[in-house]
Amino acid sequence: MNAALRSFETQWRARSPDALQPIREQAMQRFLELGLPSLRDESWRYTDLRSVAAQSFAAAACEAGGAADASELALVDAQQHATTLTMINGCPLLKADIPAIKGLEINSIRELYKQDSQALARFFEVASDADQRWLLLNTALFIDGLYLKITGPVATPIVIRHMASGDGAQAAHPRIIIDASAGASAVVIEHHIAQGDPSPLTNSHTHIALARAAQLEHYRVFASGAGATHLDSLDIHQAEDSQCRQFTITLGGGLVRSSLEARLNQRGASLDSYSLLVGHQDRHVDCVNIVTHAAPDTRSRQTARAIAGDQSRVIFNSKVIVNKGANGSDSKQSCRGLLLSPSAEIDTRPQLEIHADEVKCAHGATTGRLDPDMLFYLLSRGIDRETAQSLLVFAFLADVLTGMSMSSARSAIESALISQLPDSQILRNFR
Amino acid sequence: MLEISDLTARVAGKDILNGVNLKVNAGEVHAIMGPNGSGKSTLAQVLAGREDYEVTRGTVTFEGRDLLAMRAEERARAGLFLGFQYPVEIPGVNNVYLLKAALNAKRKAAGEPEVDAYDFLALIRQKMKFMQMSEAFLSRGVNEGFSGGEKKRNEVLQMLVLEPKLAILDETDSGLDIDALKVVSKGVNSLRDPKRAVVLVTHYQRLLDYVIPDQVHVLSGGRIVKSGDKSLAQELERRGYDWVMGAQVA
Repeated sequence: MNAALRSFETQWRARSPDALQPIREQAMQRFLELGLPSLRDESWRYTDLRSVAAQSFAAAACEAGGAADASELALVDAQQHATTLTMINGCPLLKADIPAIKGLEINSIRELYKQDSQALARFFEVASDADQRWLLLNTALFIDGLYLKITGPVATPIVIRHMASGDGAQAAHPRIIIDASAGASAVVIEHHIAQGDPSPLTNSHTHIALARAAQLEHYRVFASGAGATHLDSLDIHQAEDSQCRQFTITLGGGLVRSSLEARLNQRGASLDSYSLLVGHQDRHVDCVNIVTHAAPDTRSRQTARAIAGDQSRVIFNSKVIVNKGANGSDSKQSCRGLLLSPSAEIDTRPQLEIHADEVKCAHGATTGRLDPDMLFYLLSRGIDRETAQSLLVFAFLADVLTGMSMSSARSAIESALISQLPDSQILRNFR
Repeated sequence: MLEISDLTARVAGKDILNGVNLKVNAGEVHAIMGPNGSGKSTLAQVLAGREDYEVTRGTVTFEGRDLLAMRAEERARAGLFLGFQYPVEIPGVNNVYLLKAALNAKRKAAGEPEVDAYDFLALIRQKMKFMQMSEAFLSRGVNEGFSGGEKKRNEVLQMLVLEPKLAILDETDSGLDIDALKVVSKGVNSLRDPKRAVVLVTHYQRLLDYVIPDQVHVLSGGRIVKSGDKSLAQELERRGYDWVMGAQVA
């Protein structure tokens, strides 16, 4: 048993049982059996966690930090009257002063589970536990989490600030459930912010359930410093005619591993997944998407744009599974990578697994360098080289950026991107 | 203004230019004609500073400066403009932003302040009207979804905004219908000025009915094999390139 596993087990034994104990116990036992994923596991083969495995972790404290951080992006502006919720090291700050919002109920997972365990049980089912070992650990050790019930159209955006505060010898397990009723709609932005270098290991999980004709635009934004390690998993379950637009934006963090598992369970369910993955310095960004078409006439689109500079490594693996009988499924995967330095690396692997007859599945993956014809065109107009390169990088990412309906989020993400590109000042004036 | 002496260049290991000599004075319009594969476009790209085109011999001076020692962006800021034969589409980079950045880069190099945003838009609108371009252009990516003719108009529009000292237009006339050809010619003629020069690279004589050149050169096999006044273009049209190339052999 490695040091990390031992320390998680110690934490497990030290904690006092709560209403979720049976679920937690099951998860912990399974986690201890399976251990941490390693390079031998298919979906983890690109991310080496040996340095994580060699460390001991204590539970990150709930009360630490949480103040505003320079790396925090202004994803919403004041006019939008967003509902802002803060999680510190996985502990929700549920203050009484959160104003009531029409169509939105905010609860602590622990409290709600105590009252009605049946209502939440389905959100703790794990489909493929071997691939979701970190989720098992999250289930065992999460202190509390947020349960957002969307009961109707929510007019204003909901922002969840995930603050990781402390040091690298600590771990936090944030947990979010977004449960949208039939016909409900909302925009939810999860923003991961890590303080401290290194900051606590964050092992977060979000579960999204969309009932009939529910609509959700969901963002998860990682914009931390090089000392941050994020392991994040997102499960999406979609019923009839529901629509989900999901944006995974990785602008920072030393090691970010994000997964998305979506199940289109009923006819007419539609998912648009966008991934914008930026590697620079010696960062490691690993993004895994698995989309299952489990019913006829379901639709999915995956658009991933990865850029890698310096010695960074960016991985995007996506898989579309069309189950037997899911005729009329329509899926597209478009992954494009742009290498900005000879020592950077991008791996993209779109995969298809089709068990139905009448389906429309397209996929494409390309990785290359900046187009020399485009670069020469800009240079020949007197644009200096660095600006020209940055502009082309920006243009490369446009397919993801223009997909965002939240202009405030788009603008904040663009600004953060620009500050990472050379000659940022000129580019700033350029927009 | 431009003096090319014994210029040789190769592209992908193949010699394309084999000793080009050309002198263009301020106030002049020169036409470079020639059959396909004669090196016309290579000459244009080499002059604009394309890096993967290797200059193996010769010199080029532009207003007394060693042009070959300057990078592409420096050449542009010094007042050289290349109108591309096949302007590239750059989705995601807005046309107007590109133009503004290009103009500001030039102004900065000349020690002038950045152009005022309001003045700039007024200038663009005026030039667009002159080039009979639609307003939709303003919101689009560089050449994105443009027809061949629109791309060429856009090249001329950029030229009019940047007011280069030397404009090299690489087959700007190809693929244009007669109305577009007239508009493009009007644009080029509006730039004629005792302080500027234009080099028209063209395959056909018809552009030269609208933009009357001072000199016409025939490029063949990577060198200029014949020069003359505008009547040379008419003679070429009548007798074909074989006539010059035949004369070269004889």
